[in-house]
Amino acid sequence: MTRWGMAIDLDKCTACQACVVACRIENNVPMAGEEEVQKERAIYWNQFFSELRGRYPELRLTMFPRPCMHCEDPPCVPVCPVDATYKDAEGRVLVRYDKCIGCRYCMVACPYGARYFNWFTPQYPEGDENPLNPDTVRDSEGWLVGPSPRPRGVVEKCTLCIQRIERAKQKGLPIGSEKTGGVVSACAQTCPAFAISFGDLEDPTSDVYRLSRDKRAFRLLEDLGTRPQVYYLSEG
Amino acid sequence: MVVYETETTPRPAALRPLVESTWRFRVLVGVLLAIVGWALYAYSVQLTIGLGSTGMNAPAYWGIYIVNFVYLIGLSAGGVIVASLAYVFNLKEYKPVARIAELLAIMCLILAMIFITLDVGRPERLINILLFGNPLSPLVWDFIVIFVYLAICLIYGFLGTRSDIVAAMKAIPKRARLYRALALWYTDVSPGALKKDERTLRWVAMAALPTAVALHSVTAWILGLMKAQPGWHTALLAPLFVASAIISGLALVVVTTVAARRFLHVQIEDALITKLGRYLVWLIPIDVYFAFSEIITIQYGREPAQFSTLQDVVLGPLAWAFWTEMIVGLLIPFLLIVRPKDRTPRRVGIAAFLIFVGVFFKRIDIVIPSLIFRWLPFPAGGYTPTWVELSIMAGVYAFGILFIAIFAKLFPLVPLEAEPDVEKEAAHAETVPAGT
Repeated sequence: MTRWGMAIDLDKCTACQACVVACRIENNVPMAGEEEVQKERAIYWNQFFSELRGRYPELRLTMFPRPCMHCEDPPCVPVCPVDATYKDAEGRVLVRYDKCIGCRYCMVACPYGARYFNWFTPQYPEGDENPLNPDTVRDSEGWLVGPSPRPRGVVEKCTLCIQRIERAKQKGLPIGSEKTGGVVSACAQTCPAFAISFGDLEDPTSDVYRLSRDKRAFRLLEDLGTRPQVYYLSEG
Repeated sequence: MVVYETETTPRPAALRPLVESTWRFRVLVGVLLAIVGWALYAYSVQLTIGLGSTGMNAPAYWGIYIVNFVYLIGLSAGGVIVASLAYVFNLKEYKPVARIAELLAIMCLILAMIFITLDVGRPERLINILLFGNPLSPLVWDFIVIFVYLAICLIYGFLGTRSDIVAAMKAIPKRARLYRALALWYTDVSPGALKKDERTLRWVAMAALPTAVALHSVTAWILGLMKAQPGWHTALLAPLFVASAIISGLALVVVTTVAARRFLHVQIEDALITKLGRYLVWLIPIDVYFAFSEIITIQYGREPAQFSTLQDVVLGPLAWAFWTEMIVGLLIPFLLIVRPKDRTPRRVGIAAFLIFVGVFFKRIDIVIPSLIFRWLPFPAGGYTPTWVELSIMAGVYAFGILFIAIFAKLFPLVPLEAEPDVEKEAAHAETVPAGT
């Protein structure tokens, strides 16, 4: 059994947000434009948060990236009327982009706001070269789940870079942060501070297995009982 | 009891609106068609640009379309609860409004289905619900219960209207073929056939009642089962929805009845409206009770997520909707008709109209503020509908009124036999205040 997950060490995180940028490029995340960003229509598979708590002079600034939590008990999955979103055999919560009817019920059900809707036809920066990642991943029934551009009017979200993992499996490459040359998600690969680890939560030799059991480890909104597969290591 | 004892000769008064149209009616139809046309243009914009042309965003993933959906489902369920009570308990006096209630229920249900279609990002894929329906999704439960309910309403409406369709067929020879088709070529109005209809009707009415309650409960569970939405995640939501469905459905029936009397000269006696007004008075405190129970639970416990949503409802940017509902939708109508002698058709009509409008604000209150709440430190959200959504919404309602207007031209709005007779009017004379 494989269960992909991540561990994000907030002590190591420098809040540079390179993970957010790498994710956008790897996964063909469309541009919203300035005006639509202000209207909260932007898409971030991995979104960065900063929160200021307390009162001057006792302020505390927390910053953290938030990919999809790939919950073990995902509230978004059972609500889908057409079975377009599902938890796959390796623990990833995926969306079948060519099946989704765009009702946005899963977005309503997700407490993390990790799901995003294509309010417009996806737009990408123009240039001489095609900037799009050409990878396409289809599930066993042939539905589109990989990063090839999504149509307008459907929901999309983090896939834990399924295209990278599936290709690595086909080519027999090692997968996981702990392995030399191990294939990992784009955010984990890009992180200059090595704050993000990627790997199999079921493998006792993996980084994520070890870190998920660290005494600093916690998960977002644990009280809601969703049991995320993305762990954070608290600061300080 | 047998309502249709003999084959009736249609009374000219009841069938007159079917063949004569005033210029006002024609102007009304023209205006409604224009609004529908404009809405079609707005929808073409939405289809071309995408749902980005609406005011919806993150976290207001749902907007005015879903507000209307929930509102109309409530009106529909309420209408049928009123209509079927008349049959299940054999309350003969309510039968004149039963058909109007049934008609409104069907119309509201159709409009609700239109709204949910407008809300999805890929309407052409709605067929996927049939092909790949997920039995765990409350949306699928709703889909099933909506269609069961629609079927029941149509059978119910058909059986209840059939003898009048046949009467109209005989009275208006130039439309005989149309009416024959509308009666599905089942034109047997012998006492035996009508008795059979009546028996079927009572069974259908009994099935309609729990289905109507199920319809609105399932719609409430679409929202109420979401643990990510603290404003919805309460066991009280379904009972609260059913209560406000009954009051808003009854209010709509009253408004339409009063309007049909006034503008279409349909004959319904004052005493009946007075009685419906009395039910409205009873229902208002029930609605307030539910709201109070909800608020005191959250206020006392101050569980952060729920408390923050409650504060948004009562004091936030959408607080006007809450207070409009409480004052204009509940308090004022209650004061208007709380004293029995005040329950004139005019006052009851006004009170019902206010209740009917007020419940719409309650729906805004339920749907939007909870969505706006976020667990993670996102930027503060908000929602304002755009011209596209408002135009489409106006068009859908214009279509609904057209639907009623066309029905009023095809069928008598009040069952022919149920028109008041002299004896009954005399019996009610003492309960009707003078000068009404």
